Amino acid sequence: MNRRVVITGLGPVSSIGTGVTAFGQALRAGTSGISAISSFDSSGFPHYMAGEVPDFDPKALLRTLSTSEWGRTSLFAAAAARLAVEDAGIDEKALAGASAGSSIGTTSGESQVIEALTAEWVHSGLDQITPAYAAQVPASRLAAAVNQELGLTGEAVTLSTACSASNYALGYAYDQIVTGDADYMIAGGADSVCRWAHAGFYRLGALTEKVCSPFDKDRSGILTGEGGAALFLESLESATERGAHIYAEVLGYGLNCDANHMVAPDPVSIAECMRRAHHNAGIAPADIDYICAHGTGTPANDAMEAQAVVEVFGTRPPPISSIKSMLGHTMGAASGFGAIASALAIDEGFLPPTTNYRTPDPELPAIDPVPNESRPAQPKVVQNNGFAFGGNNAITILGRVA
Amino acid sequence: MNATAITPDTPGHRGVRENTLAITGWGVVTSLAIGAGEFTTAIGEGRSGLRDVTGMFDEELPEHEAFAMPDFKVRDHLGRKGTSFFDRSTSLGLLGCTLALDDTDLTVTDDNRDRVGIVLGTTAGSIKATSDYSRETLEGDRPFRVNPVLFPNTVMNCAAGQSAIWLGLKGVNATVAGGRLAGLSALRYARNQIRRGYADALLVGSAEEFSPHTAWFSHRQHSAEEGRAKVGEGSAVFVVENAEAVRAQGRTPDAEVLAVEVGTYGAPGREPDAGAGLADCVGRALRRAAVEPSQVRAVATGESGIARLDDIERRGIESALGAEVWRVRATEWVGECQSASGSLQIAALLAGHRGHPELDGAVSVVTSVSPDGGVGAAVLRGWHRARGDHRG
Repeated sequence: MNRRVVITGLGPVSSIGTGVTAFGQALRAGTSGISAISSFDSSGFPHYMAGEVPDFDPKALLRTLSTSEWGRTSLFAAAAARLAVEDAGIDEKALAGASAGSSIGTTSGESQVIEALTAEWVHSGLDQITPAYAAQVPASRLAAAVNQELGLTGEAVTLSTACSASNYALGYAYDQIVTGDADYMIAGGADSVCRWAHAGFYRLGALTEKVCSPFDKDRSGILTGEGGAALFLESLESATERGAHIYAEVLGYGLNCDANHMVAPDPVSIAECMRRAHHNAGIAPADIDYICAHGTGTPANDAMEAQAVVEVFGTRPPPISSIKSMLGHTMGAASGFGAIASALAIDEGFLPPTTNYRTPDPELPAIDPVPNESRPAQPKVVQNNGFAFGGNNAITILGRVA
Repeated sequence: MNATAITPDTPGHRGVRENTLAITGWGVVTSLAIGAGEFTTAIGEGRSGLRDVTGMFDEELPEHEAFAMPDFKVRDHLGRKGTSFFDRSTSLGLLGCTLALDDTDLTVTDDNRDRVGIVLGTTAGSIKATSDYSRETLEGDRPFRVNPVLFPNTVMNCAAGQSAIWLGLKGVNATVAGGRLAGLSALRYARNQIRRGYADALLVGSAEEFSPHTAWFSHRQHSAEEGRAKVGEGSAVFVVENAEAVRAQGRTPDAEVLAVEVGTYGAPGREPDAGAGLADCVGRALRRAAVEPSQVRAVATGESGIARLDDIERRGIESALGAEVWRVRATEWVGECQSASGSLQIAALLAGHRGHPELDGAVSVVTSVSPDGGVGAAVLRGWHRARGDHRG
């Protein structure tokens, strides 16, 4: 079997909007989702801004799961999946009876739960920790939450390949439908802002104070973010048969590993990952109309990404923007949000902006970051970049259905 | 069994089924033994890996004994250089990968390292590394005074990423957070990558570390369960390749993975029943493998004495294979190792084959059940290790 795979439902739960309409409007408007941290006590930290989802209300979004039994990240994943299925307009009973599953990416899984357990340990001792929290620790619960919420009996796989994990998940879901192993898949990612990651990025010197400005000459780092991103995938034949709205086709993906350094990315290896993705999608670099960047906003990452882009695309690469300027770095959900933005760009005819852009960087002359305002355009083929600690690169390619 | 066993030389075997994976080497790190050869010997002698763990950590532990390695230091195996900041999960995973590469006849060179990768399963990475980091932010007067050098240890893909750096493997590098299903989920992920032509060979397995955290998490959840297996730690990693390609090169695999199927049902006591789900899963796996239930010689289970999980596994197996099929219970030798358990169950089967030519061609099933309603089954066919170019 060798089926074409399309995206027919989108489910963003994010700091700039929940649900495809709100998210799409915010993306076009260049809205900021950055606010003062409220999910943990940030006093004592020099920097205290993040892309949290303070109005996340899992009870209002979920119909099946008992919200007290699940950690925040699992609830992000399940809520996003629920929204994606509603957006796809597929009959829920038919879906539950079909060959359907989920693949969900994450960096930190339920590490808010590990933080809560650690706080119990510090204050009362390990022998006093809450057993119910201990049961919530396995990161496999993210995809399990998606399947349980929607009554899916197929595979539930959580891929924890850090900040490119959603692209791993999207690629895996794509293969499951191509080969006929599944008829419907929900792919995406989820993560929660947590104290230890905020501290770690600060100590690495990777955290900016208040504003994330990717590709800007004066960019100074990331802001951590959170949320859930889900995409509903099915075969082109299935979507056409049921008259579904098709946002985009998944054309292929590429994975590789720098095998070089845990935190410093390697532009040569990333260029190779781009070529793998193009080869798998059956396209050439010239076919790409827009790149949804990994674009973290650290001086090193953006320079490396630009260098790899120039190596593959030459000195006039397609426009490349970073939605992390609005969302912050949503970690394992990041390339999931990138995939949603890419699908919307193809479907609605625009390029999302890189906000907070002030000064062009003379070191990145080839880069058109779509500064500050979204741009009308009709991208046919889009490349969505995801890179991670561990040198784990993952790139997905989406296209307009011809 | 001998009379009906299919060996590499019988005609029925020549046509390797499409998408079949070959295991061409393996490595194992447990309190019972380190390395495939030692592990095979230890299982053959019926030894147990249960150890006194008092004093293993500064913190008090809930029990005096565990299937853990109080004296394990990664530098004793891989040297001091570059290993000093590794967390325990990374150490166990990397050593498993290294031993697996030592055990295979696959050679990794600059010509193929782009096509060789790693797929490792985990529960939540090094929970201790994340918790220690968290603790530093809570206890210090300045919460950001954490050690940046240890930050990579907090991400779940640390073991796979560090192993790729150590071994120079630039192909697919994935981490599957599968909990008790991690071993089978990692195999399934690898099967997809190989059948789609994205990789030629993958180091596939899973790891779990023992720490005060994992010991207490388990104790607080399950201490009322009498007969529960004591917790442990370890890793098992397999060199996995396309079986057809391996045969075409005239190489003999240790085993073939004929199918891996998974599903999601209700948590124990909830609908849809995971026991029926596991039976369905085993049935699907056997059909994909073109094996009749009556041909299954053994089932390697994850049974760990937690009644509500063992009950699901028992009902699933009895429904799909009958009550008589022989059980291989890896927890008796290596303890309850969470995400490492599925891989260690496979290792236990391979150990049986390595030392027993009379089992050549025999088919076994591996089953896993998670407390969240996840179930999985793999079908394996194994051979003994006769080739002289291999250790072990």
